[in-house]
Amino acid sequence: MISVTELLVENPLTGNYFASDVYVKGLIDSGLIENRRGDRLLALPESLIRGLYVSLEQEIGPAAESVLIGCGDRWGKDFYRRFYSGVTEYYGAPLTDLSAAELLWLLQECWKTHGWGELNLDQPYQPEGVLIVETRHSPFISHAPKTNRPMGFLECGILRSFFSQLNGQPLHCVQTTCESLGADCNRFVLGLENCLKRVEAMVESGRSHSDIMQTLVNPS
Amino acid sequence: MMTTLEALFNEPERHYLRPQELERLGEYINTLPERLELYRQLRDQEIALMQPVADALEKQLPQESMETVKQGIKQSVLVLRYCAMAMLLDDPTLVELRLRGWLPLMIKIHHTQAVDRVLYSLLNNRLTEVFTDQQIRLISPPLQMVQNLFYCEEIGVG
Repeated sequence: MISVTELLVENPLTGNYFASDVYVKGLIDSGLIENRRGDRLLALPESLIRGLYVSLEQEIGPAAESVLIGCGDRWGKDFYRRFYSGVTEYYGAPLTDLSAAELLWLLQECWKTHGWGELNLDQPYQPEGVLIVETRHSPFISHAPKTNRPMGFLECGILRSFFSQLNGQPLHCVQTTCESLGADCNRFVLGLENCLKRVEAMVESGRSHSDIMQTLVNPS
Repeated sequence: MMTTLEALFNEPERHYLRPQELERLGEYINTLPERLELYRQLRDQEIALMQPVADALEKQLPQESMETVKQGIKQSVLVLRYCAMAMLLDDPTLVELRLRGWLPLMIKIHHTQAVDRVLYSLLNNRLTEVFTDQQIRLISPPLQMVQNLFYCEEIGVG
């Protein structure tokens, strides 16, 4: 027989850790915004994001891209640590105990609650060791200067870093579509560096995402 | 849809509460003692409420795995706790805000659809058995919100 008392003692109930109405807290007196476990949050003005792109471009020109990817990379390392601690603490289980569906859903909720837009995983190429992350309404891309190439450098860095830590091996990330170029979403292809070597060149030559993926998984 | 109480308190700088807003607040205050009493009962009788449901569920679904049944029960206790809080605050949207996505995800991952169909019917019967008609009226809006969440996800419980 199932004892409800024992069931509740053995398994404390949990809900959505990232529910926006409880995740974000304000400590008005000290001028801080925090998440529910006390990590500091910041409201970032859009004009600051625009200013970063413009200033970097003026100061260092083409090197801005790798600087932004590097910033995203550092951001991703810290983001993973926060995500890991928050989720582990709240659900009382390490990330490895969660199913892939739970983990993805939590990441999506976390992404939304932080105001970074929507995030989805497209996994038709997972058997080939390639993961596609799609983001929409990216604040970092919508305020990037308009060029003829994908501009999600910060996201490239954060996703690369986050998924590398999650997978326990260094992954590479290349953006193949971008909202700034009129695409329906930003697509980031993640995989081992040697698998993705050709992708960057294909993006630069203007090939479509589906074309790139076909070439990647069916090398002739 | 009924204005959430919280929304009434958002803009004191713009205007005093309008007559219909004061009326809404008054209605809430009038039902508050009943809400508190129902909340107390739900809190104090959580196990007494749920154990017969769990027993009946096990009897009615002998073919289901113990793990799935347990998971279904855990989910329904969670749902009831959110409903109790939403009832206390007279804010059914709390249920949607907190359970949207999460509950359907749990149902999918743990395959509790079949268990849930029986479970929520047993739970509804149990609530009707234990609580008065007036108390059922108070808890119904958040419970309805839960049903909507199921329907939204096309899981079709109820």
